[in-house]
Amino acid sequence: MAISTSTTVSLPIPSSRREMGWGERVQRALTHDRTLGYLFLFPAILVIVGLVAYPFASAIVMTFQAKTAGAPGRYIGLENYRELFSSEQFLRTVMNTVVYTAVGVGVKFLLGLSMALVLNQERFCNNLFRSFLLVPWAIPTVMSALNWRWIFDDASGLINNVLVRLNLISETISWLSDPNLAMLSVIVVVVWQGTPFFTMSFLAGLQAIPKELYEAAEIDGASVLQQFTNITLPRLHPIFVTATMLSAILTSSAIQFVLILTNGGPADKTMIFSVLSYHLALGGAQRLGMGAAVSLIFFPVLVVFIVFLTRRMLREKGE
Amino acid sequence: MARKMTTQRRALKGLGNGVLVVMILWTAIPFYWMIVTSLKYDKEIYGYEATLIPQRPTMANYATVFRETPYLLYLRNSVAVAVGSTILSMIIAVLGAYAIARLNFPGRALLARSLVFTYLVPTSLLFIPMFALMSMLRLTDSLHGLIIAYLGFDVPFCTWLLMGYFKSVPVELEEAARVDGCNRVTALLRVVLPMSLPALVVVTFFSFTHAWNEFLYAYVFTSTTSARTVTTGLVNFMSQDVFFWGPLMASTVMSALPPVLMFLVFQRWVVKGLTLGGVKG
Repeated sequence: MAISTSTTVSLPIPSSRREMGWGERVQRALTHDRTLGYLFLFPAILVIVGLVAYPFASAIVMTFQAKTAGAPGRYIGLENYRELFSSEQFLRTVMNTVVYTAVGVGVKFLLGLSMALVLNQERFCNNLFRSFLLVPWAIPTVMSALNWRWIFDDASGLINNVLVRLNLISETISWLSDPNLAMLSVIVVVVWQGTPFFTMSFLAGLQAIPKELYEAAEIDGASVLQQFTNITLPRLHPIFVTATMLSAILTSSAIQFVLILTNGGPADKTMIFSVLSYHLALGGAQRLGMGAAVSLIFFPVLVVFIVFLTRRMLREKGE
Repeated sequence: MARKMTTQRRALKGLGNGVLVVMILWTAIPFYWMIVTSLKYDKEIYGYEATLIPQRPTMANYATVFRETPYLLYLRNSVAVAVGSTILSMIIAVLGAYAIARLNFPGRALLARSLVFTYLVPTSLLFIPMFALMSMLRLTDSLHGLIIAYLGFDVPFCTWLLMGYFKSVPVELEEAARVDGCNRVTALLRVVLPMSLPALVVVTFFSFTHAWNEFLYAYVFTSTTSARTVTTGLVNFMSQDVFFWGPLMASTVMSALPPVLMFLVFQRWVVKGLTLGGVKG
């Protein structure tokens, strides 16, 4: 019995060494972490290289070229950058982008925090309110921009309609074409759509704070304000940083709101870098190099945020 | 002391309720205006007879959208692009995330890092070279082109989200399965994936709604009706210089509905997934 077993076991081994079948080879490769790892990650690597790294590198090359779509570029050195920095429109765009992002993110942050604190209180039907207040986040940005363009409409929009009815104004207000109001109006829309993101993030943070901390503070006689500054704020700090940075990246580079509401006007008052970049590259003149240069000038600022967030997002995943 | 505390609490509760009412109005009024406009005849939409509450509600605008615009085609295109990019990114992300979470090979950490990094690079930095690339590959004006382009965002995000989840699946379960004769692939399919169902739901939600809501690539890469998605189709209605707000709001309501419904259904998981990463804000 024992002898027959050993012969049947030893036989297949030499034969498999001589001619390993395709199936067996695959079987073997699948037991190696290294082969399998690269195999599994190959499509993802292809995506990263082909759809992000390569386009990004070619954007850098383009900024040194005079290039139109479909035609090869001609090397012109720093000419695009020189022209941008001497253009008043570009300098205004930089200022606008900073104001638009800072005010937009700032207001979203404060509103989001208040919403989260309110929703964290116990009350009847709170889950229902919670769901409802988050809905603006789920609807496509294009749809909310279109809707708000109609709300701001000069002749028949909701705001002017109501203000006239209440006799608060005698002439309708041009929310989107008045140079002094346009930026403010655009930011209102950005805030309407973007606040729920902060609400959601902060609410999750609030719910992760152990109740015992507050109970202990209560026993020690800490006021509500003291509890807020000594427990809530420090505990939320990491989420504050992550949410703000993520939002700064996405707000500054979102193109839909401005493109649909004002298209950068009136007189470039709402021109931000993504829209200028679009206009230069694809709006008639087709100066792809100039367009790419506009966005890339902002990259050094964004990359600080991106690197920081990358670290933090990986740490969360225990990487 | 204790009494002071309760009055403080009561005051806060009152303040909270007040703020809540304001927030609900602020959120609801734009939705109200959008829906109500879509239900009005032109007479009630424009000019001196404009109303705040429709006197004679009508579905005429919805009929107009289907009768006089290629909205159905846009809808079909959006569904095709969203489903296509969701399925593709799901497959690529599951494999990639499993490799990063479970396998040991040189370059693993670097790859994880580059995935997150690429997820954070905004499309407004990439759309110009992507347009050149798509023109070169003759992928403009094509749904395939859009599906491929969206992978650039979906794959990094989904991989990142899944890899955290896969790590939380106990290794012992997988090892037990492998003792029972599973290899890596069958262990992934039979043990890790079933245990990661909530993460798969979140990933599906995010890639689907991202494709549905995406505007910039769709706007830049398509110039003809045949490959327009809902978002760019609507902007096209608007930019044709004639503002038919009734039909426009009707199509806006319909186009916003799918992601909103999905969000309400999957909310519990989505909120959890979002707080880990977030998509737009």
